[in-house]
Formats: sequence, C-alpha cells, structure tokens
Amino acid sequence: MAEISEANDSDSSELQDNGSEAPQRPESEPDFDPKLMRKTKPGLKRLVLTFSVLFSFLLGFPFLWKSVEIYRSPLPFREIDSLSTQLRSDNLLFPLHFHALFVGFDHDPDHLRRSILLEITKLTSQNPKCSNSYTLSVNVDLGSHCLHSPVSSPHSSSYPCGSVTATDFVQNDDVAVDERLVSVFGGKTKEYIVAVVKGGSERAVVGKHRHAWMVVGGGRKVEVAAVKVAELLVKLFINGGREEGSIRNEFMPVGADGKIVLSFNLLNADPLDWVYDWDFEKIDDTLLAPMIEALGPVANISVESQVLYHTPKASFSFWNQKLESYVFSTKDLPFFVNSNEWHLDTSIAAGGRSNILQFAVYVPSAKECPLLLQLPNGEISKTNGFISPMWGGVIVWNPQGCLNDSEFEPSAKNIIPIQDLENMFEVFIGQFRQLFGFKSVNVYAGASGDWNLLPSERGFTEWELDVLSRQHTCFNLHSCATTLVSLSRLVQSLPRMIIMDDIGKQVKFSLEAAKLALSNASSGAYESSAAASSQARSLAEDAFFHPSIMSVSYYSFEHCFAVYSPFFLPVSMHVVLAALRELRRYKQEKAKYLVWKAKANTSS
Amino acid sequence: METFNNSKPILLFLLLPCLLLYSLIAFNSSSVEAAMHTNNWAVLVCTSRFWFNYRHMANTLSLYRTVKRLGIPDERIILMLADDMACNTRNKYPAQVFNNENHRLNLYGDNVEVDYRGYEVTVENFLRVLTGRHETAVPRSKRLLSDEGSHILLYMTGHGGDEFLKFQDSEELQSHDLADAVKQMKEKHRFKELLIMVDTCQAATLFNQLQSPGVLAIGSSMKGENSYSHHLDSDVGVSVVDRFTYYTLAFFERLNIYDNASLSSLFSSYNPSLLMSTAYYRKDPYKRNLEEVPVTNFFGSVMETIHTDAAYKALSRINSGRFEAQTSLDQSVHHIERRMPMKVNDQEETHNIIPEGNKQLLQGEEGASKCPWSTFCNKFRKGENVDILVNYGLVAMIPLLVILTWLVQ
Repeated sequence: MAEISEANDSDSSELQDNGSEAPQRPESEPDFDPKLMRKTKPGLKRLVLTFSVLFSFLLGFPFLWKSVEIYRSPLPFREIDSLSTQLRSDNLLFPLHFHALFVGFDHDPDHLRRSILLEITKLTSQNPKCSNSYTLSVNVDLGSHCLHSPVSSPHSSSYPCGSVTATDFVQNDDVAVDERLVSVFGGKTKEYIVAVVKGGSERAVVGKHRHAWMVVGGGRKVEVAAVKVAELLVKLFINGGREEGSIRNEFMPVGADGKIVLSFNLLNADPLDWVYDWDFEKIDDTLLAPMIEALGPVANISVESQVLYHTPKASFSFWNQKLESYVFSTKDLPFFVNSNEWHLDTSIAAGGRSNILQFAVYVPSAKECPLLLQLPNGEISKTNGFISPMWGGVIVWNPQGCLNDSEFEPSAKNIIPIQDLENMFEVFIGQFRQLFGFKSVNVYAGASGDWNLLPSERGFTEWELDVLSRQHTCFNLHSCATTLVSLSRLVQSLPRMIIMDDIGKQVKFSLEAAKLALSNASSGAYESSAAASSQARSLAEDAFFHPSIMSVSYYSFEHCFAVYSPFFLPVSMHVVLAALRELRRYKQEKAKYLVWKAKANTSS
Repeated sequence: METFNNSKPILLFLLLPCLLLYSLIAFNSSSVEAAMHTNNWAVLVCTSRFWFNYRHMANTLSLYRTVKRLGIPDERIILMLADDMACNTRNKYPAQVFNNENHRLNLYGDNVEVDYRGYEVTVENFLRVLTGRHETAVPRSKRLLSDEGSHILLYMTGHGGDEFLKFQDSEELQSHDLADAVKQMKEKHRFKELLIMVDTCQAATLFNQLQSPGVLAIGSSMKGENSYSHHLDSDVGVSVVDRFTYYTLAFFERLNIYDNASLSSLFSSYNPSLLMSTAYYRKDPYKRNLEEVPVTNFFGSVMETIHTDAAYKALSRINSGRFEAQTSLDQSVHHIERRMPMKVNDQEETHNIIPEGNKQLLQGEEGASKCPWSTFCNKFRKGENVDILVNYGLVAMIPLLVILTWLVQ
C-alpha cells in the first residue's frame, strides 16, 4: 500500500510539477527505479505491530503451560523405600528380657543358663518377618546366698536375695502366689520371670502378669526343668501359645483403619415358640468393658447388639435317642449360618475399612430343642459354640423350656437368666481369643509337660497382651510398608495423575508414625509401638485408597494436545508467518533504501 | 514437552526403579504364606440398558439367584444392574423377570438386593468397586470388602467387542483397564483367587491382558465370534436368556450346597455346537489343577469353622478368687492351708460358686419400699410416673377453680 501511495505521491508531485510553469526535474535523480530503490526510510510500524502480536503470544505461553500443569503433591519416595528396606533387613525388632530363678537347687547358674539358651535356640523358628532378641539372666537362690549369671547383667544382680522361698509355693492358691511374685518383682515391668522351686507336688502355672512358676518334685533332674523352662519362654512368652511363630493372616481381625466392631446378636429361631431377650448392658459393663480397654493399643473396639427374630439355621440336625436331644455335627458347621435369614450386617456405624466380628447366640425352636453339637470323637461339646476366622462366632443356647418342660411357663418375653448369660459371655471371650489366634482353654500342653494358664478378668493376661502388641506391630509395619511401596510405584507409573495434598500429608504422617513405632519397639515399649504402628497402617491405607487415584480420570498428554491444538496451531501459524513475512519485507525495503542512498551519494 | 517436565528428577527416576526392582525381588524371595480361604464374594454386573437387552438382566439375575442358593449371602454380593426390567413399562408381567419361556422361575421374586442400579453402573464405579477406592460416604453394602482369603466371582454380561465391554451405551471398559484393576487388587491382596466369567460377543478378548496370578477367566466366545441368545419368549416379546448363561445355569440346577463338582466339569460341559461359539478359558495365571477345585470354591459359601473347646473362666475366676481370698484371710499367713475342695483351674462347671458370686453382683437394685411416700419419691425420681403426676395436678385444679368462681360470684 505504501508503495502505491508513495508512487502516487511521486506521481502527484510530478503532476504538480508538470502543472507548474517549468517542469524542473532535478538532474540529481537520473535513474530512479521504484522497484529497486526508495527514497524514504521504510517505516517500522508494520514490523512493530506484527512482532508485538508474536511477542504477546510468546509471553502468554508460560501462563498457558502453568494452567495445564498437573498438580502433584511431592511424595517422599526415598523415605518410603528406606522404610521398606529397613523393615526387610533389620529383623531384630523386639528386645525381650528373661529371668529364671531357681530356688532350692544347688547348681551352677552359668551351666543352667547355657543349657536353657541351648534349648531356646533349638525351639526358635526362623520367622522371616519379625524376630526377637532376648537376653537371659539366671539366679540361684540357696536361701543363705545367691549366685547369678551373667555376673554383669543388671537384671540378675538386682534381685533381692532370699525374697522368694519354697514355702510361698506350697499353698495351692495360684492367685495368691501370683500376687506374691508381683510384690517381689513388681518394679521391673517388662521382664519375664520364671521361678523353679524344689517342692512337693508337681505344678506348673503361668500367672496373669509376666511371671510363671514351676514346682519340681524331689529327685527330678534340673536339666529337665531347664527344657521345660525353655519351652515356656519360647512357646508361651514369645509366641503366645501358637504352634508356629509366624503370623497367619486369618487371625488378624483388626480392620485397616485400626477398628473392630463387635456385633452381638440374639437370634430367636422361631418366635412363635418362645421369645428371648437379654440384659446386654450389664454384661457389657462387667465383662466386655475391661477387655476392650485392655486391647486399646491393639485395636479400637466398639460394641453393638441386636435381637433378631425368625432366624432358622440352614443345616439339619438329627434326633439322638441316647442323648435325648437333637444333635448336629462338626461337618454341618460350615453350613450352619443361614445368611439369607440372618441379617447380621446392619451396622451403620462401622466405617468402610473397619472389620465387623459377629457373635451370634442361637436359640433353637421347639422342634429342634435341645440342640447339641457332637464332636468327631463322639463327645458332646461343652460350649456348643464355634468360630469362623475373620467372621465371628456362634453359640447355641438351649432355653429352659426344652430342658425341663414342666416348670416352664412361656410368657411374652423371657429374659435369659443371668448365670446363663455370664456363661455364654465367657464362651464369647474364649471365642474372641480364638479369633486372635489364642486358645480358649486354660491349659497349654507342651512337649515337655503341661502349664496351667491363669485366666485374667480382662480376657487377656499381660504377657498375652505383649504377644498381641508385638505381632500386631510387626504385621502393621509390614503392611504399611508394602502399601506405601505400592502407592509410590503406582504414582510413578502414571506421571500425569493428580496427586492431592491430602495424600502427601497422609504419607508423611504415616512415615512419622512408622518411625515412632520402630523406635518404641526397639526400646521395648510394646503398647505404644502397637498403637503407633496401627496408626501408620491406617494412614497408609487412607493414602492408597484415596478416591482421587483413579486411572480413568487423569488426562494423558495426547488428550491435552488434542484439546488445545485446534485453536492454537492455526492461530500461531498465522501469527508466525505474518511476522516472518513482515520481517522479509522490511529487509527488502531497507535494502532498496540503501541502494538509493548509495546512488544519491555517488551522484552528489 | 514431557522431557521438559521431567528433566530435573530424571536421574531420580532412573535410580528409583532400580531400587524398587531390587526391593521387589528381595521381597518376593522371602516366603509369603498363603492365606486360608475364608469367604466368597460375587460381583455380578449387567451393563446394558433398554428393553431389548432384557436377556442381559435375566442372565445376571439368574446367576444372582444361583449364587445365593448355594450360600453366598447378600452382604457378600455386589449386584449391578444398569436398567430396570422388572418395573419397565413395557413389561407385560410387572415385577417379574423370567429366564425361560415356561415362566417357571421368577427371578425377581423376593429378597433381591441391587447395590448399583440404573445410571450408577458406570465404568468408574465398577473400577472403584474392584479397587476399593470409594468416597468416604459410600456405605458398606456398596463396597467389595474382601481380604486376602477371599475368592471372588466376577460375572459380566452385556454387549462387547474386541478388547472392550460396552457400559450403558455410552462408554467402554477396555481390557487394559480391567487388567490394571485386577493387578492393583492383587497388589493390595484383595483376593486369593478370582474367577472372571464374561458373556458377551468376543468375550475372550476382554481378558487378553491379564497377568496377575490366581486369576481364572472364561469367556463365552472367542475373537471374531458372536455370543447368541438362547430363545425368544414370544409372550414377553424379547429374548430372555443367553446361551452361555443358560448352559451354566443348567449345570448348577443339578447342584446343592453339599456337592463338590469340579470346575473342569463345569468348563467341559460347554458344547460349542449348542453354544454356537467357543467358550474359551484362560488358566495360565491360575496355578491350581482345575480337576481339584470344586465349583463351590467360587459359587458357594465356605466357612472355615473351628470348634470352641472351652469357655474362658474369667468371671468364675473372680468369684472363686474372692471366695478363696476370704477364707485365706481367716487363717494366719504362715500356716499351711488345707487343700481347697474345688479345683478352679480345670474346666469343670463351677455352679456351686457362681450363685454366691452372683449375689454379690446383683445386690442393691431393688430396695424394699417401706412407706408409700418413699415409694412415691422413688418413682418420681425415676421419672416413670410423671404423666400420672401431671394428671393428678390437673384434676386437683378443677375443684380449686370451682371454689374460686363461687367465691367471686
């Protein structure tokens, strides 16, 4: 355009000149060729315009990039890997201190100690996941003086000589003996103490706290006693009475968020025959509350109860004339729970990741009453109950109307008598222990003899709680580590997935809790390490199961490209081309001007 | 652009996979104990909408009924139905769904619990069910709460094609999505064994990309083949069941919960000429021999049960302890006490001791009320007879009112 206007200008100036009297064409412009020269300097306006548009595009590009950036909260991948390798390599997590006290034996404590340690190493299984480091100290109390081994250990040398005598054990009151031992050794809390006493009748008892004692008759070899002591230490104090030391997953009923809901159900099979109710609150306060409190570090337990009607069972039973009752066998147990009619899972309070354990009391109908469970060896079960791991337990309770028809008057609602209810709940506590992997009987039959286990009012003795804390700490830490490793692998495999801040925070807190649990475990504080490990596991699970980690809802790079390119590609092409064209034109005009200038200089 | 994004931590990403690989190898080498089989779950998905896809709904409901009959409870079944056929306005038999033209069996009869219905059946919800990543408000009945001892049966039916399954006529589930979800489930130990049954066209392609161990998959047809419906019900007006599901149900109608027919007998019962397609199954990720696996491992209910040997005598322990403590206090400490008549450590019933203990427990609730004023006070305090008190008060006000009006007049 400018060329034409300039041409017009020059033409018009020429015309004007022609219009005037004398066409004074200056001789200083002999060879003016508009195609190759120009008189004026080319303007910069057009160049500035196009380049400013291009520049604004370039300036806006980083803002566009930022706006489509995927927000990923930074996860501490290195710490996750270091936790996982630490757990795998560093096996010696829990320190245990054993103390054996021999009263009335004249033996060398070093020799005794060595023989016990030898037996212990024979019995200790190779548990790849978590193992324990133990120290053993032995005291021999001869009444007048004491010998101890190892000499330098603070545990053995701090035992007050002569405080435990054989007369303490002569009485057959185990509870009193237990209390006596507590009063002697009460100061040292985390030590496991076995007292071997020479006395009259043979007896082997494990107390409610962390003490056990053995009365060995005269003439018995002390080496046999040492074997039995070693078995006690390994099988009971370390493993809790289970056959193998490793953790079986079906005996870990704690949910992923560290909570268990105990749901107690009273099932009236046929309410037309009789309807039973129970006074649950009283039992809850007396029997269940101490147990729930004792298990506080391991799991956060809540209790619910309900009464259901019209709940027949799904298996069959047969009339047994000899026993005068209906009998069902252990083969029918897997089919006993009638899930169609037993609507047990009605808990609204339980969260998505808690575990619910159902405890059902089945009251049979008049057609099937009394109902007894027959074991494979022909005996009748004393408890009439069974458990299913990770699900719960069932007890069959025969109402009085069955047992003696004459004195029973059916009323609209009968309450289960209080002693039957207490018996039932004792069976429930036994079943609850079974669900955690312990035995419900009070006797441990070992290879070298039996041990009587004193029951505790809280359902679990202190040494059993220690075993639970240790095993749950181990399980929770490993579960937490594998979850975090899976999460980090998943996050790294999807580089364009949004990771929200919540997840980053949960991972951070989970790692902190895991570190706390590890440090507590190595110092021997079992309960706090169990609580910290349960928190670590629940946070790791929350992070892994965060609802925003869904592979279908993240945008791949192709998607982003396909969304933005239909607009930006054509526009940017035009802008860039225009800028280039203007630049080329400016250069040409400039060259033309320079040529004219050179000509003008040479001619002048 | 991606290299630009990842340029800084690229070294880290190179190092980390090596570390992860090492840790993965090390972890796998340590023995992981196989969990015990504790429960069975079923996830039954029907993905088609519209009246002419009646047979897909009937397929899913027939399998639901079978699985319930063989023992899996509602709380362990996730039933996803994409449309409602029973109450559809085109249904001549309202609230009834049949899978056979003889109308012998009403599949929608009673006790049907549908967890995801209608438009809730989407690919996202399906994958959320499988992987377990729900919002916190989702109720337990809509979650797959399986653990490492669970066997899961996953049945999907609808319209499908080469490596995809169509959901709701608007989106697709691709085979790599399914394989990814199963892989994540396996990593998080959400199942012990998984059986996938797919009844769509070209069903076998849907599980082409599965690699996780412990997964067994069977599809009604191979790539390039269609799956056909079995027969048309001229009364209802649409086809009511697919061939693959029809023959599966025929197999299960012969079973009850006590049977132990094996999976290989189920798989060999499919006749390609009757199905008009080849039922193809993949068992390379599944390490067990199919002859030894009973069908009730997936289709029925299994409860591992352990008998409870004894009660935990905690309470009788308290009472007997008290009893013995009282007697021991009577005597001086250094005397040798005589042997107690009851041995409380073994499992004999301690009925003698319990009633005395109970007396100690149950005291003091009902005091004998001596004078009526105290009973009245007691009742008032308990708040049981507040209504009666109010009524007394109102009744007492009437004569007062009468007297006052008489005085005023």
